[in-house]
Amino acid sequence: MSVKTLSFILNGENTVVEVALSDMLVDVLREKLLLTGTKKGCGKGECGACTVIMNGEAVNSCMVPALKAEGAIVETIEGIGRPDKLHPLQESFMDQGAIQCGFCTPGMIMSAKALLDKNLTPNREDIREAVSGNICRCTGYVKIEKAVSVAAKQIRENQ
Amino acid sequence: MKEYDVIGKNVRRLDAAEKATGTATFSTDFSLPGMLHGKVLRSPYPHAKIVSIDTAEAEKLPGVKAVATYQNTPREIFNTSATMAFTVPALEPVLDQYIFDNIVRYVGDEVAAVAAVSEKVAEAALELIKVEYEELPAIFDPLEAMEPGAPDIHPNCSAGKNIPGEIVKIPFGDVDKGFVESDVVFEGRFKLPVQKQAQLETQAAVAQVGADGKITVWSTTQTPHPSRSILAKVFGVPESKVRVLNPPYVGGGFGVRIGLSAKAEPIAVALAKLAGKPVKVVYSREDDFIASDTRHGGYVSIKLGSKKDGTFHAMELKGTLNTGAYCSFGCETPGVMGAMGLAVYRVPNQSYYGHSVYTNTSPAGAMRGFGNPQAMFAIESAVDMMAEKLGMDPLELRLKNIMQVGDPWCLPYPCQSTGLAECIEKGAGSIGWDNRNSLNQPGAKKLRGIGAGVGTHVSNAWPFCVDYDNAYLAVQQDGSIHLAAGVPDIGTGTSTTLPQLAAEALGVGLGEVSLTFGDTATTPFDIGSHASRTCYAAGTAVVAAANDARRQVLEYAGDFLNVPPERLDIKGSVIYITGQELGEQCAGTGVCQTGAGTSVCETGEKRNSVSLRDLAYHAHLRNKQFIGVGRIVPGNAPPWQAHFAEVEVDTETGQVKVLKVAAAHDVGKAINPCIVEGQIEGGVLMGVGYATSEEITYDAKGRQLHNSLHKYMLPTAEDAPEIDAIVVEASDPTGPFGAKGVGETGLVPTAGAIANAVYNATGIRFYEIPLTEEKVYRALKQRV
Repeated sequence: MSVKTLSFILNGENTVVEVALSDMLVDVLREKLLLTGTKKGCGKGECGACTVIMNGEAVNSCMVPALKAEGAIVETIEGIGRPDKLHPLQESFMDQGAIQCGFCTPGMIMSAKALLDKNLTPNREDIREAVSGNICRCTGYVKIEKAVSVAAKQIRENQ
Repeated sequence: MKEYDVIGKNVRRLDAAEKATGTATFSTDFSLPGMLHGKVLRSPYPHAKIVSIDTAEAEKLPGVKAVATYQNTPREIFNTSATMAFTVPALEPVLDQYIFDNIVRYVGDEVAAVAAVSEKVAEAALELIKVEYEELPAIFDPLEAMEPGAPDIHPNCSAGKNIPGEIVKIPFGDVDKGFVESDVVFEGRFKLPVQKQAQLETQAAVAQVGADGKITVWSTTQTPHPSRSILAKVFGVPESKVRVLNPPYVGGGFGVRIGLSAKAEPIAVALAKLAGKPVKVVYSREDDFIASDTRHGGYVSIKLGSKKDGTFHAMELKGTLNTGAYCSFGCETPGVMGAMGLAVYRVPNQSYYGHSVYTNTSPAGAMRGFGNPQAMFAIESAVDMMAEKLGMDPLELRLKNIMQVGDPWCLPYPCQSTGLAECIEKGAGSIGWDNRNSLNQPGAKKLRGIGAGVGTHVSNAWPFCVDYDNAYLAVQQDGSIHLAAGVPDIGTGTSTTLPQLAAEALGVGLGEVSLTFGDTATTPFDIGSHASRTCYAAGTAVVAAANDARRQVLEYAGDFLNVPPERLDIKGSVIYITGQELGEQCAGTGVCQTGAGTSVCETGEKRNSVSLRDLAYHAHLRNKQFIGVGRIVPGNAPPWQAHFAEVEVDTETGQVKVLKVAAAHDVGKAINPCIVEGQIEGGVLMGVGYATSEEITYDAKGRQLHNSLHKYMLPTAEDAPEIDAIVVEASDPTGPFGAKGVGETGLVPTAGAIANAVYNATGIRFYEIPLTEEKVYRALKQRV
């Protein structure tokens, strides 16, 4: 099995890791870099649990060959807040009751962050479209939509 | 009304921070040193005999450490589902599965498994296993499977051809006489689809077999303690030497892992024993679809008789459910279908007859609602049609007939609370019921309609199945609280609501309480998370444990403060004499800490209070800890629901768009209203999927046509209607602080409400769900 070196910026840090040609980004994140916050729910790009942000775009990391991340800027759930200063989306997901089983939560928050990084005044349709690739079977999406909307307001007020 | 300090408040979930930051661990995240990965070879045939299996080539592949088949694994028969091993006598448990068998009974049935150094190597090894099959005749429809010429899927079906276990019969009054005495009778048969839980985390288990023979399994089970019992029996070891735990989070459940997580646990253990190393088995999404339990599809027939004035007089309900290749919960599900179906309306003459039927499809078992949504789609459609026959408003008809407190009913416990009338009133207000017949302009291509449905459910499984709870609560040496309960948190908020209940009962702040859960080694036996029971039943045990500890604290404090314990109360972790000023607070540095504590402070003032922190430390220095134990058999209580759906039907495409669901739920006391709303909202959307889009079908060779999230049409955020979750609190005397179940109730009346709304919009009555574009389009065209 041929192995290559992948260099990229992961959560703000230069990261170098040996990967196989067939490795997908999700498996490199979870198994080689032990960042298990990114979840794997289907391996086929159908559930969104593995969503990370790559070069500013939300992507299903199970559909990204790891070597495609060469030189890229990748953000995962572990990189968007610190325990003493969480991202407003993390705060709002907790406050609004948008978290139940929690398995979709990291991917959901990353999709929402990719939206808010570009659009701080999203309407309901913008929010629903942004998370439409993220399946949540617990919440009915009601409190997730609310949480994204509240976080957008919070970020606007902080600016 | 009593003011509470901790319950009834929307406190942040205690698991939220871990889940929001990605540090929460699930079974699929879990790993151990030296761990191998297991993969399963599944049958390509719906029914076949295995003539031979040759695993030699697979075993030779570098990296392969073990190959398991029916030839080298235990042949102990079991049922993957929990309550089958725990049914109350009278319903014989149906045991019909082995880890691997030499007969396969559905496409996806387990044939062999490989443990290897990676999933990729394990998958490659599966390709090298040579299996020779002898195909057997297969059958997919439950009605056809009952016919004399159909193939026998399992031996010993004494109740009837391919019928597992027993037929459930619920008699009440004299139903034949009731129909004779009825003025108007409606009769119809309804067809129900196979729905999938599609929880986000697939079935998974990591098994470790110690050098001492002890077995530890980290898994996605909803019921660690019953799962331990099943595994101990299968592997022939004492239950005390098996530990089953969640690590500690579970990515959803919805019934799919009440008992084992399909066969993830026994396959992982079997491979770990063969390989001598820990083994992790994670189902792919396709494995999860084809080889873990679904909701039962099938047929429900209803005959409803009414007096001219709208008083229901007789109801007959029959259920024939498809339980697939293995029984799983195929005996209990028809039971709940009948029991719940007959419990909603006050009908003096009723009968129910229901059972499951084996077919060569994926096994059906527990899914949120457990037979009840199937029954209520038929019943609520029938009630709407009865209203039309009688010329009455459907809501007026329901209000006239719904069960009231104290009414006789078929259930083995009394109806002690109902807020259903209030649910109907509030839901009707939210949806705008009075506008329902003036929503459309003449000639409109998109037709709107409003429909309603009501229902009830259980708050646990007693006295239908064995169902009890234990908990213990220990006051720590600094006055903080450790609580242990054997239930998991599958996302429903258990790990928050149980501490809330303990804190309220004891009189401490929520921040003082820490919970250990979902682990057989560190918690006393508990049936687990199913039947909408966790808050209600495990909560009752937690409150009992808290009350036990509280009694000990007050007795000790009574001696300390020189007053009878009855005069004491606890609030904010301070024990005080009721009716008196609190007095000086000890800072914990004085007499108490030196161990010389008395009811007189250093200042010479007589104390009226003592903090739990000081008291616990005072006791500690005297070799005493306050440990409360709760051992309870829960009662049962009916939660009630009224759902109102507004739909828009596109007459050119047949698309049914659900615009809004107003879901009013009597949940008793809402311990954490935000969590309650979340349960309702999630259940409603799953019900919208059930009603409009979700279905697994099979091709002629028994292969699932909807075996991925892409093919299986569950609602995304863009499909979700507006959901107005309305909480009604008719306190029940049997629940902790009056709470009742809510976990499953959002699904119960949803399909009926939506089908009734589609009728209101189009005038077309559907006897089958889901109301897909194709189905609705055909019906619209047929009418023209």
